[in-house]
Amino acid sequence: MKGKKLLFFLMVIFTAFILAACTANEDAGEEPEKTDSSESEGAENAEETTPELDGKTLYINNGQEPTSFDPSIGFDEVSWGPLNNLMEGLTRLDENSEAAEGVAESWDISEDGLTYTFHLREDANWSNGDPVVAEDFVFAWKHMLNPDTASPAAFLAYYIEGAEAFNSGDGSAEDVNITAVDDKTLEVKLVQPTGFFLDLLTNPAFFPINHQVAEKTPDWHAEAETFVANGPFMLESWEHNSEMVFAKNPEYWDADAVNLDYVHFSMVNDTNTQYQMFQTGELDTASVPPEMSDELIDGDNVFIGEQGGLEFYRFNLTQEPFQNKNIRKAISYAINREEIAEYVVKQGVEPAFGFVSPGFTAPDGRDFREENGDLVEFDPELAQQLLEEGMQEEGYEELPPIVLTYSTSDLNQAVAETIQDMLSENLGVKVTLENQEWNVFAEAQQNLELQFSRSSFLNDYSDPVNFLESFTSDSYMNRTGFESEEYDELIEKGKSETDEEKRYEYLYEAERMLAEEMIATPIRYYNVAVLEADGVEGILRHPVGYFELKYADKTE
Amino acid sequence: MKRMLKYTLKRLFIMVVTLWVIITLTFLLMISIPGSPFNTDQASNETVQANLEAHYNLDQPYYIQYLLYIKSIATFDFGPSIKQPNQTVNDLLSRGFPISFELGIITIALAVVSGILVGIIAALRHNGFLDYVTMGIAVLGISIPNFILATILIQQLAVNLEIFPTATWRSPAHMVLPVLALATGPMAIIARLTRSTMLEVLTQDYIKMAKAKGLSPWKIVFKHALRNALMPVVTIMGTLFAGILTGTFVIEQIFAIPGMGRYFVESINQRDYPVIMGTTVFYSAFLIMMLFIVDIVYGILDPRIKMHQKGGKSG
Repeated sequence: MKGKKLLFFLMVIFTAFILAACTANEDAGEEPEKTDSSESEGAENAEETTPELDGKTLYINNGQEPTSFDPSIGFDEVSWGPLNNLMEGLTRLDENSEAAEGVAESWDISEDGLTYTFHLREDANWSNGDPVVAEDFVFAWKHMLNPDTASPAAFLAYYIEGAEAFNSGDGSAEDVNITAVDDKTLEVKLVQPTGFFLDLLTNPAFFPINHQVAEKTPDWHAEAETFVANGPFMLESWEHNSEMVFAKNPEYWDADAVNLDYVHFSMVNDTNTQYQMFQTGELDTASVPPEMSDELIDGDNVFIGEQGGLEFYRFNLTQEPFQNKNIRKAISYAINREEIAEYVVKQGVEPAFGFVSPGFTAPDGRDFREENGDLVEFDPELAQQLLEEGMQEEGYEELPPIVLTYSTSDLNQAVAETIQDMLSENLGVKVTLENQEWNVFAEAQQNLELQFSRSSFLNDYSDPVNFLESFTSDSYMNRTGFESEEYDELIEKGKSETDEEKRYEYLYEAERMLAEEMIATPIRYYNVAVLEADGVEGILRHPVGYFELKYADKTE
Repeated sequence: MKRMLKYTLKRLFIMVVTLWVIITLTFLLMISIPGSPFNTDQASNETVQANLEAHYNLDQPYYIQYLLYIKSIATFDFGPSIKQPNQTVNDLLSRGFPISFELGIITIALAVVSGILVGIIAALRHNGFLDYVTMGIAVLGISIPNFILATILIQQLAVNLEIFPTATWRSPAHMVLPVLALATGPMAIIARLTRSTMLEVLTQDYIKMAKAKGLSPWKIVFKHALRNALMPVVTIMGTLFAGILTGTFVIEQIFAIPGMGRYFVESINQRDYPVIMGTTVFYSAFLIMMLFIVDIVYGILDPRIKMHQKGGKSG
């Protein structure tokens, strides 16, 4: 009978386990809403489950492992976001998201706008104690431009004389016109005057590399042990694919401005999981899970900010019926962007009535977007009329079939379906939807195989030309088949004109031309919607650029 | 013993051939899907793209690329990942595998032990209350996909009750939820299987004989009945291994576990060719090994199964 007793014992344990699980579920079912008291308990509990760091620590999520902390290689948000807090370029974005003094405390620009002379701070040091010298910048930028490095960001530096030739293998490193005049003076010569060069320099691609360390240890950026920082924080530990800890960098010239002792980065990719970690207090910031947008977006803990970027749909001018301008315009006029922004994308995004997103300040102090006004609108009657005109011009009895293609995602599908509905309702045009895996889609779009397809653009630097340049005839980003000498000329002048006011005039005209030719139709601007726990302050999220923890603080 | 050796060698040979077929098929599939690892949301230009392709030998003709892959596999050096150029595929595997293995082993141990136990209990209480309860739960366990169970577990046990941490892989407490989420399905399958075979075995004459001899129920169940009842369970172990392996892909994603499951999925989306190759070869080799071991165990449990009859069947 002994065996029977044991079995009975085992059964009791198992039943207890099951019952416990069931009760747990019941409790939870009764009280799905969280009360304030349980939230604070959650925070206490979380301290046991998150790694303890001695000091003021901010817990944030990086989503995934950074591609690379080599400033020339990690050309994406997951790398350059953290890197922006470990390093600093000649200029750095300030509280107003404008390029201000970084490692350089001052600079002179020659009268022709071609030569920039930067004076580096005497007290700018690397985290290992080395001074930040002009040679570090020369080394870093030539490293980026070296074709063997295969830097995906190298084209950002083509404004520098000799850069493009070196990068495409036709020139040499010596011909790239960057010179270390002395330890603390750097001279850069540009191909043509570039009004936004100082903005461009805030981009992580232009961060310096400690050349003494890099010459000894080419892989200095791969591990925390060898990483040298010159920004507000330094890399304390880095467990790949798992977590990173940044510590305040005492060698940073502006270390007094830094409030946090540590920043802990998790790498949680799943949006629901990271939101649940935010609820338990394991994370201090989290993105808003799309499914919960309606519930959360108006809450107190949500930060919504502008992000320089546009979601738009490209017409393929090489395929029927989009060789016709009026038909393209008809489609554009039939789309109600306000509805898409408010009811489909949600998350507090703004509908786009122009191409360049708000947030770019013109020389007269006004916003580029305001100045150039609304360039597209919703007008079903006009759309109908334009469609008839267009069909007449082409001699169509019936409109050729239109296929709208998007890369597979729930949100893209929702927007595409809405546009399909709108075109059917407002124009009587039947559009077929097709979705493709992202990479397949990207390639097909590049090869002009798609007729009408979704696109997005996020700015790399804070100037309208960044986006507008995409549509020049020989641009890799064109993807519409649009070719116009007039447009190319406008962009050329919009880049090189030294008189800023005139330069903006060219850009206004270029944008108006995009709308007039309607080679792509804007849908909505991007934004940043982030949850921030109580007591978290001072995280700067620039419309263009990467998040900034230098002034961040956390009060308990 | 000689036959055993011959059998093992034969199986090893078949394993290598199988692997080669997998490698070649993977390569063919890889080059036939459109897209490139350098397609990104970011702006780019032709020079930059050309530099990247040259850097990773993607500008070479396909047969050269194929030979380079075969070489990298033969030397167990898969080179750097394209998407994480600071890390070699070997780094990724040697860092990720121990974690995935830990998750997998704990899951299998839990699933097998508790599954068999529950199965026995249900069989002994055939048509009793406990039988219905456990089998009811088992049906639930089979029907609920692990990623839904994972979300429910996190919401209830981590967010609402705050018993366990939500995600990541730092301490034993962090392991509870992912293991539960992953083990429930296989556990339920094993429980149901054990129960049905156990019921069948318990009615057989030799068990009646044992009872008549006055052996204790403990001894009858664990010494005589279980050995035969386990055969089907061992048979499905190979499939369960595969199931748990694929289950880890999802579970690691949800719980942000730094294992190798996520590389397997992400590398394909990102066209990170060296990582696709590395993980595929590694997983296939592992799975083939597991099936081989299962076959050996099978033979040990039931000597009537002649090894040479089974050669290559499950390779």
